[in-house]
Amino acid sequence: MPYFNLVKSLTSAFPNVYRISQSQVSSYTPAVCCRSKTRSEKYTDPFKLGWRDLKGLYEDIRKELLISTAELKEMTEYYFDGKGKAFRPVIVVLMARACNIHHNNSRDVRASQRSVALIAEMIHTASLVHDDVIDDASSRRGKHTVNKIWGEKKAVLAGDLILSAASIALARIGNTTVISILTQVIEDLVRGEFLQLGSKENENERFAHYLEKTFKKTASLIANSCKAVSVLGCPDPVVHEIAYQYGKNVGIAFQLIDDVLDFTSCSHQMGKPTSTDLKLGLATGPVLFACQQFPEMNAMIMRRFSLPGDVDRARQYVLQSDGVQQTTYLAQRYCHEAVREISKLRPSPERDALIQLSEIVLTRDK
Amino acid sequence: MSLRQLLLGFPRSLGASSSTRRLWWSPSLDTISSVDSWRGQPSRSRAHWNQVVSEAEKIVGYPTSFMSLRCLLSDELSNIAMQVRKLVGTQHPLLTTARRLVHDSRNNLQLRGLVVLLISKAAGPSSVDASCQNYDMVSGIYACQRSLAEITELIHTALLVHRGIVNLNELQSSDGPLKDMQFGNKIAILSGDFLLANACNGLALLQNTKVVELIASALMDLVQGVYHENCTSAKDNHITDDIGISTWKEQTFLSHGALLAKSCQAAMELAKHDAEVQGMAFQYGKHMAMSHKINSDLQPFIKEKTSDSMAFNLNSAPVVLHQEFLGRDSWIKQIGEAQEKGRLDYAKLRETIKAGKGVTSAIDLCRCHGNKALEALESFPPSEARSALENIVFAVTRFS
Repeated sequence: MPYFNLVKSLTSAFPNVYRISQSQVSSYTPAVCCRSKTRSEKYTDPFKLGWRDLKGLYEDIRKELLISTAELKEMTEYYFDGKGKAFRPVIVVLMARACNIHHNNSRDVRASQRSVALIAEMIHTASLVHDDVIDDASSRRGKHTVNKIWGEKKAVLAGDLILSAASIALARIGNTTVISILTQVIEDLVRGEFLQLGSKENENERFAHYLEKTFKKTASLIANSCKAVSVLGCPDPVVHEIAYQYGKNVGIAFQLIDDVLDFTSCSHQMGKPTSTDLKLGLATGPVLFACQQFPEMNAMIMRRFSLPGDVDRARQYVLQSDGVQQTTYLAQRYCHEAVREISKLRPSPERDALIQLSEIVLTRDK
Repeated sequence: MSLRQLLLGFPRSLGASSSTRRLWWSPSLDTISSVDSWRGQPSRSRAHWNQVVSEAEKIVGYPTSFMSLRCLLSDELSNIAMQVRKLVGTQHPLLTTARRLVHDSRNNLQLRGLVVLLISKAAGPSSVDASCQNYDMVSGIYACQRSLAEITELIHTALLVHRGIVNLNELQSSDGPLKDMQFGNKIAILSGDFLLANACNGLALLQNTKVVELIASALMDLVQGVYHENCTSAKDNHITDDIGISTWKEQTFLSHGALLAKSCQAAMELAKHDAEVQGMAFQYGKHMAMSHKINSDLQPFIKEKTSDSMAFNLNSAPVVLHQEFLGRDSWIKQIGEAQEKGRLDYAKLRETIKAGKGVTSAIDLCRCHGNKALEALESFPPSEARSALENIVFAVTRFS
């Protein structure tokens, strides 16, 4: 599928993406409002499998946050309450086992690999705390945000503190290659946030810009932490690239679906209000696809949905268009690519769980 | 090229007109004084300080401009420079920080990097490491130590920027529109994060896990120090938290000493010096930073001409010591007496404090830390770099 290869490379030209005809959109339906669904349990639940190595994850993260001041400690531990999905740590430990088995049939997760799972969750959380101040968000995962409870001044310090604790844990792994790999994530997260500040006038550039932002803000963390555990478990650079490509493709798919859910999900499911992106002035995948059918959306995108009624009108356009389906289809393509990559590893329950996980990414409704 | 020259130069190189350039920082000229802790000192002492610094800069080879060109000329920072201009007219602290970066770089901003370079040169190459690449040594300093000096400055500046976030629910109408203040927060977080990410990147390139751990723990200290600083700053009634001088020292070490102490130690680690040399470098960095901080805390109380109404920090060393001598109750009474219609008469309170023992004991404390810094230096062989480090201590402990 030549058009997909173009999409896959982040510099793809937009028209090649959007010329996906309706007939090519597969039978995947986007998760719709309040839909309950059952999935055939062909494999063990990947989350269950991953959690075998993650027992005490949040307790261990809290141990890394060696802070004497009570309030500061409470703020930094606020999101490590065990109620998150731990999506990233699960992928990381599954990847660690899949690589270890591939390399020498070892069924153990090394302590250093488990540390990477902790660090990935910590870097992710530090960036959430800062993002919530930047976006002036008031709720996340069904609770108030750190900035709403303690104020912006303290919230920014809480984020910095979690980042410094993650860096200390990273240094203690004692591997300079792993330090470089995960440092790349920190840089990508910031650059992604900068990309989000600007918008491109040129429609072709706009889609590439969106995918690049998606990679930096979401996929880089998953790709690079997968790569880090592969480096710790196996000396073969081919395996490192497989781990990285799997993480990158699943990461992009994850974010594309997140952007779809912002249009299709009820607020109580996401734990945050929907149409958040539009309200922040951001044009995500569904909007960019919808804009191809309704060119009148261009003006709204350029003014970042700032006029009264823009958000509602844009939302209507998106729902009337096939933007949601197109974005879901694109996410599916990324997942297929992830599966193609991970299938190069020797079979193992963990490898199959990672394949299963890519499907869950597509069908999740929250 | 100094940081200041870089900052002054770069909008022009990006094609910004001179009028937009002026917008960014020209309103600062009249307000800069309130944030510049050095401005108030007697000009003799300031001239002396400038001389000490410029001589030290000659020793390390080239002037201390640590923010790398790569970082300053990046799209991200030029984007920020454009965005900051939108805040002119509001009271967002990011503006003050931006002005400080430009105007104050001579004194406070580059001092940390300069000290890291000087102590690197004073220690020289390690005997253990004779085989090591002396080829990347310029003016007796390894390239990795120069990177470290730059990283130290990046972290310090990042936290300066993050210090200047405002709480949106405490805004006064005089601050400016909510939207602008929100925007200022956004830009402040992003630019601080950008500097931190660059620091992390530089650290990773050093390829030394011990140095990464040391500097990451210095960052953790610094963030906690800034948190305490925010918490203990005076509330509306001007009553500060009851902290004694020992708590003050702990918190000041976190906010002002840890980064320099650990960077000095890390510079030794990079040259493979043993634990003892590393420990001495840590001690110098710590005590020099403490004495530097106490010196700047003392300025409102010792300078020859005082602009009477100028506010001073109620958590500065002389005030905390004054309070400790006096007892909490009498201090609260004194603050009450210096207030009129809810406004604190700083001139009056300053005279009250000067009449007590706080100022002289702060001078003693400053000298005590200075002496400890000098003691730590004794383990380094005599050199012009060591003399420059001594001169920095002499300059911050001189009160006449």
